[in-house]
Amino acid sequence: MELDFTAIAPYLHMLLTGAKITVQASVLSVLFGAFLGIIVGALRVVPIAPVRSIAAGYIYIIRGTPLLIQLFLIYFGLPSLGLNLPAFIAGIIGLSINSSGYVGEIVRGGIEAVPKGQWEASKVLGLSYLKTMRFIILPQAIRNMLPAIGNEFVTLIKESSLLSTLAITELTMVGQQVRSVTYASFETFIVVGIIYLVLTSVTSLFLRFIERKWNVS
Amino acid sequence: MEISVEGNTSDSSVSHQSAIDVKGLYKSFGRLSVLEDISLSVKEGEVVSVIGPSGSGKSTLARCICRLERIDSGEIYLYGQRTDGQKHSNSDIARLVGMIFQQFNLFPHLSVLDNLTLSPMRILGLSREEAQENAMALLKRVGLEEKQNARPNQLSGGQCQRVAIARALAMSPKIMLFDEPTSALDPELVGEVLEVIAGLVDSGMTMMIITHEMMFAKEVSDRVLFMADGNIVEQGHPKKIFTSPEVPRTQIFLQRLLAHFGKELTEGEKRGECSHGA
Ligand SMILES: Nc1ncnc2c1ncn2[C@@H]1O[C@H](COP(=O)(O)OP(=O)(O)O)[C@@H](O)[C@H]1O
Ligand SMILES: [Mg+2]
Repeated sequence: MELDFTAIAPYLHMLLTGAKITVQASVLSVLFGAFLGIIVGALRVVPIAPVRSIAAGYIYIIRGTPLLIQLFLIYFGLPSLGLNLPAFIAGIIGLSINSSGYVGEIVRGGIEAVPKGQWEASKVLGLSYLKTMRFIILPQAIRNMLPAIGNEFVTLIKESSLLSTLAITELTMVGQQVRSVTYASFETFIVVGIIYLVLTSVTSLFLRFIERKWNVS
Repeated sequence: MEISVEGNTSDSSVSHQSAIDVKGLYKSFGRLSVLEDISLSVKEGEVVSVIGPSGSGKSTLARCICRLERIDSGEIYLYGQRTDGQKHSNSDIARLVGMIFQQFNLFPHLSVLDNLTLSPMRILGLSREEAQENAMALLKRVGLEEKQNARPNQLSGGQCQRVAIARALAMSPKIMLFDEPTSALDPELVGEVLEVIAGLVDSGMTMMIITHEMMFAKEVSDRVLFMADGNIVEQGHPKKIFTSPEVPRTQIFLQRLLAHFGKELTEGEKRGECSHGA
């Protein structure tokens, strides 16, 4: 068999437009996911047992079920409750919630890695629990977990391919469209794979650059 | 030990006012009973040193007083206010008592100046300018004004502890507790910290100092407490405790300490970093 990439060359710009959607979805999801995840992770360690349990339950469910099912629940399930979301919004919500479960666990670990003495010093300086969390613990915890959150970003770029199941025209979806027009399945998905690889590599390099900057300051 | 009946209303007794009153304090960790019926009174302006073998409950006593530990039973009063319950907020307690830890516990992500200004700004409501002005005066007092922009990990252990003292003073507490402030320091850095503490003594601050620096305790204290097995075994004027202790337990402790004195200074793991794992 011979590979013939010329057949898909005219569709390359479509694939790149899909890649743009993929990047948009991933960036939005990692931002919302990190925001939600920090809250969930912080709730995971509060000294109020029921709150801790709810946060733990949330993380447990999110991490124990497939992202695809979570996306289906939001896009196909919620309408039966009268909530119809546009596919892209539903996709972002699904990815963000999914990501928040993983980030929440990373944040919990990061918070618990801050030495007990930091809590004690804050307390005797008069800081409340919330102020201690905000000014002392989270800034240290987040710095420690930056690499793990970066990995989460890379993971999200790859997992966002599941958004194709909601007919969102991100990279994978466009790949399927190009394949159905050109019948060049192998070539199409090789190119799609390469684009993903470029996206994840660039993201990794970018994150490493940021980390280094942060560590220097 | 009873606090004066007339003391509540009369201002004439202010100089003899109790800064710390501990009554019948019990504290245990699970099955381990750590403090057993501790009663103790520290007058305003008094400097009390606490000595005793490791594990005798010295830290726990200090931690109960600044409410880092919940007590099992008994009562703790700071300037006449009962503070052992949950009635007071952390900031109420912080206005009364400051605490210095063996491991400094500076905030590694903040500059020296920000370490000092965080609580005054967030808790006392000072403006940034006011807080920084106070902080610079305090840094000057501990001889570190040129380190205002440094991060804790750029400081020596002795400098860290001096910053920690300045940070505690920035809240203008009425009482300062020191839990082995020089035990984590390299021997050559102990002096600079003791000097700062001695300066506080001269300023009339009410202090409780847990220490193994016997010479220092003898020099600066109005009273020395010897603790063992969760009890205050003996207390009195430093001269009396160090030269003619009455209780055999105290005698044995001091003799052993004297015998190991030279050894202890050179051995033992000494650590200098400002905060664990920063
Ligand atoms: N958080 C804790 N949990 C369990 N045991 C503790 C805790 N803190 C202290 N202890 C125990 O209490 C006893 C007294 O400790 P501490 O007050 O630190 O003594 P000291 O400061 O005189 O060396 C020790 O046996 C110690 O192991
Ligand atoms: Mg101790």
